[in-house]
Order: sequence, then structure tokens, then C-alpha cells
Amino acid sequence: MVFPSYEFAFFFPMVLALSWLLMPRPRLWKPSILAASYVFYSAASPGYALLLAGVTLANQLGAVLVSRSSDEGARRRIMAATVAVDLGVLGLFKYYGFFVGEIGRFLDSLGLGMPLPLLTLALPIGLSFITFQAISYVVDVKRGLLEPATTIDFALYLSFFPHVVAGPIVRAREFIPQLAKPRDPRDVAVGAGVVLIAIGLVKKVAIADYLAREVVDPVFGVPEAYAAPDVALAAYAYAAQIYCDFSGYTDIAIGVALLLGFVFPQNFNSPYRALSFRDFWRRWHMTLSRFLRDFLYIPLGGNRGGKLRTYRNLMITMILGGLWHGAAWGFILWGALHGACLMVEHVLRDREVKSPPAVIRWAIVFHLVVLGWILFRAENLELAGALISRLTVAGDATLWAPATVAAIAAVIGFQLLPPDPLDRLRVRFAALPAPALGLGLAVVVATVGATVPSQGVPPFIYFQF
Amino acid sequence: MTEPYYPTSPEPPVPPAPTGRRLTARHALIVVFVAALLLVLFEGSSIRGAGEEMDPGIARELTLAIGKPAGWVSDRLPFDDWTDDALAFLEDEGVGQAGAFDSAGAGGRTARGVPRVPPSSFDPVELGERAAPPGRLGTLLVTGDSLAMPLDVELARDLADTQVNVERDPHIGTGISNTGLVDWGRLSTEQTADLEPDAVVVFIGANEGFALPGPGGEEIECCGPGWAAEYAYRARRMMNTYRRGGRARVYWLLLPAPRDGERQEIARSVNAAISVAAQPYAAQVRVVDLEEVFTPGGRYRDAMTIDGRRQIVREPDGVHLNGAGADVAAEIVLDALRRDYGEALP
Repeated sequence: MVFPSYEFAFFFPMVLALSWLLMPRPRLWKPSILAASYVFYSAASPGYALLLAGVTLANQLGAVLVSRSSDEGARRRIMAATVAVDLGVLGLFKYYGFFVGEIGRFLDSLGLGMPLPLLTLALPIGLSFITFQAISYVVDVKRGLLEPATTIDFALYLSFFPHVVAGPIVRAREFIPQLAKPRDPRDVAVGAGVVLIAIGLVKKVAIADYLAREVVDPVFGVPEAYAAPDVALAAYAYAAQIYCDFSGYTDIAIGVALLLGFVFPQNFNSPYRALSFRDFWRRWHMTLSRFLRDFLYIPLGGNRGGKLRTYRNLMITMILGGLWHGAAWGFILWGALHGACLMVEHVLRDREVKSPPAVIRWAIVFHLVVLGWILFRAENLELAGALISRLTVAGDATLWAPATVAAIAAVIGFQLLPPDPLDRLRVRFAALPAPALGLGLAVVVATVGATVPSQGVPPFIYFQF
Repeated sequence: MTEPYYPTSPEPPVPPAPTGRRLTARHALIVVFVAALLLVLFEGSSIRGAGEEMDPGIARELTLAIGKPAGWVSDRLPFDDWTDDALAFLEDEGVGQAGAFDSAGAGGRTARGVPRVPPSSFDPVELGERAAPPGRLGTLLVTGDSLAMPLDVELARDLADTQVNVERDPHIGTGISNTGLVDWGRLSTEQTADLEPDAVVVFIGANEGFALPGPGGEEIECCGPGWAAEYAYRARRMMNTYRRGGRARVYWLLLPAPRDGERQEIARSVNAAISVAAQPYAAQVRVVDLEEVFTPGGRYRDAMTIDGRRQIVREPDGVHLNGAGADVAAEIVLDALRRDYGEALP
């Protein structure tokens, strides 16, 4: 089930009413919302719900065993085994085909071709997010940062429908304490939630999908048919599209959670105003950044083993972060590009090289990010190369429609504005009376719905991860 | 043993709530239900329409359970029209009802110039008529449902260095047996009028299986001869539209067997219907058999040998072709195009 759908439009009001009705009775509320979350998750395929339940039970068992054991070695082994199960499930569904294919290609190149068991496995939706959240739970229990939750609390944490499909990656110790007592029905951020939902819908349906249809899909599909002006436009358009698509999803998820009385962490903070790659990763997919930092970069040694080890750790973290997005060389190269840029920043900082003016730093970072998006979006490296090489081919600007350029400029320009006036505007909208908020939401839904083409609303980009 | 590299959390355990005015849970319900009520009043018929075009299942039943009364209400109020008028500038323009499957009238529903297809047509008869050589291939339209992706891209890439203008127009989630989302009779008319293609590649069938209205207006469930006959009739009308009175060539791709057994049954009927539908137009309409290449004998397989190496050719959903599969399909289509348009094509 996706947020911008009729199914969700029926599902959510019912669940919202049920949730607040049962909120004072946690013994009823928890199983009811758990059931609703499984209905939401299994809408794509009921079989996936079994996998989610299996992952839940395996990690809860691991966490309980870790907490009960007083032997540090045993605790570490149990944690490692549980994380291995999580990564094994993820690896099987997400990476099996890629690695078997690559191994086959490698063996062929050596003249050792052999029939390998090639299979296509459907990736259960949201599995990457579920896996990371499960790992964060078990590891935090092992680190003593969290007591094991009750099974139903943990199951609710993993499956809670606002974040189960594409994040944000909520840490167990951010969410589970919110289950400790019923949410206060007199203190709900209704206005903020509704404004976020409306903004998310506009970002996804009116901007991201429009840019995809008009510019990104045509150019990234057949780059040979376009010259530099259109390819450059498509690269900028994809930067705007992926931001609006993913942050739009996050806005809706956070807004829906707020209406239910729950608070999720922020996931985006004007990423295209970043002046460095370090800054970019503090603004883009922030919950993934901190997961990679806390569960990969720091355990690898962080910056404690000298400069070379720091660079190595950065590169490993970013390459694995790229691979997390999908089993393809484009994602790996995208991660490597970001890792290399972070490394260069570290080197320049270590050598105390004087920084250029902010506007130059912004332009460099932004354009390298856009270059990275070409690797991220292109179907394969051959096409990515074709796209980049077409940037040198002179020709007509056939796709530079005013609406397209305006949409891209607005998405990037808004992020360059100071945040305070926009926040004040958001707070002012959020302070409207409830019926006015309802009217506003209906107007946004109807208006955005009118822009949906006959093909319908395409899935969120991050659903595939 | 201590673990010095594990961090303590720099973040507060629970994220702070957004700033701004706080309301109550009752207000949250008022907001959502006011929005829902307004949408029912102003967009009720759209909800009903959306339900009718969904695949059979619980979601469709639920949507129709709400959409039908919502549509009934909005049909009796002027609000729906107001919304349509106010937001019309945001929607795509079309060519009205021209060519729509449902616009030929109930009952016989026979469009001018298109013969009906009785169920008895489903004997394997090949006409074998030789087509006259076509003119230059200027515009190639690649269309269909999601099956046409990424075939459309592969063909566009393959023909990028030629004088052929490849127009890609797939419509995801649509089907010939379901006019709710897109009426392919109408769309094919629109495409032909707009683009005047010299050749059309059609790959559609991932979303079929909806009940079709029979000659007497009765509903015919998938996938017997009666359903296949109605499907063939619709496909034949599209073929007739696309062939533009003989000026254009049509390359209609048969479906490789899907993984799912129920879908296999639908695909068999669709393929049979396409083969029959094309019979009167054998001079211009080519039925391109992908089934024999990807799923010989109708047996599903994920992978096949390409250039001496086993490769996965299907998407994980067991329905669509992946990039490698689309590459193979594009080559097959190009072969068919070359037979008609000569070796000038790559």
C-alpha cells in the first residue's frame, strides 16, 4: 500500500480513529495497530508479512539472549549471529542475483563458465529499512543502550506502518520509549502533521513525478537522442526529482506518525545547500547517515587509527552505503564517489588548505552531487558513461520548458533560502483551525490528484531499496 | 572487555516534536474526516472509477464499497463537475470519445469496417497474405502497458543513430480488458491521430483478465473462448486503427508465459486472441512470438542462454522482462522491422 492511493485514503482514517479510541488501553491498542501495520505491509504480497514476522522473532530472540547472558563473548557471538541472519536475509533477496551473475561473468571471462543457479527473487518491500532497524535494536541491546522490549513492542517498532516501507530509519530507542505509555490525546501536533502530509504529496506527485515524466525518464532512457543542454537539464531534474520523491515520502510518513501521536526523526534538511560532502550527509537521508556512522564507520575504527585508516573507513562505509541502495555497480560507484569526496575534504582539512568562498564550495559540492546522481539513476555503467559523454555534445535544448525549469529552480532555490521564514510559514499554516486544515488537505489532494496521468502514481524511488 | 569505539548516542532518545500549535486527537480526526468528506462530495465518481480499474481483490472490493456510494452521492451533486472544470487545466487533453471501446454502443457494438470475431474463430488458421512493401520508416511508436518498458528504451537506443523517430508511450497498469484507467480503443485513435506512426510496436497484457461485456451486454469472465473473442475484437479494432488503412505496419508481441499459474491462464487467452485478431490484417500486422523465445512450450523460466552465457531475463515479479530480456525482445522486433523495411535498419 502506498501513501498516495485510495487504499491508504480509506485505511488511514479508520486506523487513526481506532488508534485514538484504543489509546488509553495499551493491551488493545498494541495488537490492533500491529494488525493494521501488517495489513498495510502485506497489501503488496501476503507472503512478505511472514518474512517480517520471521525477522521480528529472530531479532527478538537474539536481543533477549544477549540481555540474559553475562558472558561478553557469548553476548558478542549471539549479536553477531543475529546480525548475520538479518544480513543473510537481505543478501538473499537483494544481492543473490547480482553476485551470482557477476560470478558467472567472471568465470566466463576465465573460460570456466558453468551453469549457476540463476533465480530472480522479488525483493520484499522495505526489507533494507527493516533489516537496519532490526540490527540497530539488537546492537543497542548488546551495547547496553536499550533494554529488550516486549515482543509486541518490538514487533510494533519494526512494522509500524508509517515507516515500515521506506523509513525514516527510526532507532529502537527513539520509538520504543514512545510505547511505554499512551500518547497524550490533548497534545497532538495536528497542524504540523497535516502540513507535512500536504507538502509531501505536492513534492511527490506534482513535482517529482512531473519531472520524471517530462525530462528524466526520456533522457536517462535514451541519452543518445539528446545533446548537452537536455542531458544537463535531466541531471538537474533528477537531483530535484529524487529529493522531492524521497523527502516527500518522508514528510508524509512523519506527518502520518504525528497524527497518531508519534514523533519520527528528521530525515532531510535542505541537502542542496550543503557546502561540503560532510555537510551534505548531515542533511541528506540523515537517518541512514547516522546508522552508517554508528553501526559501520565507528565500529570499523572511525577516525581513531590514523589518517589512512580514517580514509579507508570512510571509503568502506560509503561504498557499503551505496551497495545498500541496490545490487548494481552504479550504486557502488556512487558510494565510492561520495567516499572519495569525503576523503579529499579530510585531506584538505588536515593540510589546512584555505577554503574557497562559500559560493564556490556550494557550486562544487552541488555539481559533484548531481554527477553522482547520474551514476545512481542510470540503468548501468554503459548508460551512465553515455549520459556523461553526451554532456559534451552540442545541440538543441528540446526539453527546456518553462514549467520544467521553474520546478527544478524552485526545488533547489527553496533549499538555499534561509529556513526561518519558511518555518514560520509552516507554523502559521499549522495553527489554522481543524476544519480549515481539513479543507486545505482536501484541496491539496484534489489538486495534486488532477495532475496524475493515466499511468497513475509511480512508486516512490526508495521503495526499490 | 570494554568497547571504546561504541558511541554513546549524540541524539536525544526521542526526537523532539515539531514546533507550533498543539491540538487534540479529536481535532486530528476532524481534519482527516473533513478532508475525506470533501473528497467524497467533490471526487466521489473518481473514487468509483479508480475502484473499477483496480485488479480484482480485497483492495478493489474495499474501494468500490466506498466508491460506489460516494460516486452515487457525487453524481447527484454539482461539486464533481465544479472540481473537474476548475482543475481541467492540469489534465491531459484527449480526443474525446473517438474510437473508445464503449462508444460504439451496447448490444452488437460493431464498429464500422471491423468484423466481429466469433468464438469459432479460434482455430489455428494462417492467412499467409504477403504484404506490399511499406514506405520509409519515419516514426515508430512503441506502446503498451508496463511490459513495453524497458523494451521501448531498448528500441529507442538501437535506433538512435538512424533517421527513425521512436515515440515511446507505455501506459503502466492499463489493459485492453479494463477501460477504467485507459480506454485503449480511444488511446490508439489518439496516438494514431497525433503521431501518424509508420509502424507501431505493441506489447500489452500484464493487467488483463477483467470481465468483458459480451455482444448482448452480459459480462464474460476470463478466460474462455467467449472472453478471448471479445478481447480479440478489441485488439483487432486497435490493430485496424494502428495500421492506418494499410499505410502502417503493426508488430504485436505475444506474451511470454508468466510465473504465476493464474496469470498463465490469462496470458494463454490473450495470446490466442491476438493471433486470431491479426488474421484479417496479415499484410500489415505481424504477430511477434516472444513466448517461443522466452518460455518455450509455455514453461516459465527466469534465465536463458544469451550469447553462450546464462542470464536472467525476467524481473522478480515473474511477469516483466528485465533489461537483458528487453534487449533480446528488441532484437526480435528489429528483425521483424528489417524484414519489412530492409537492411537500412541497424
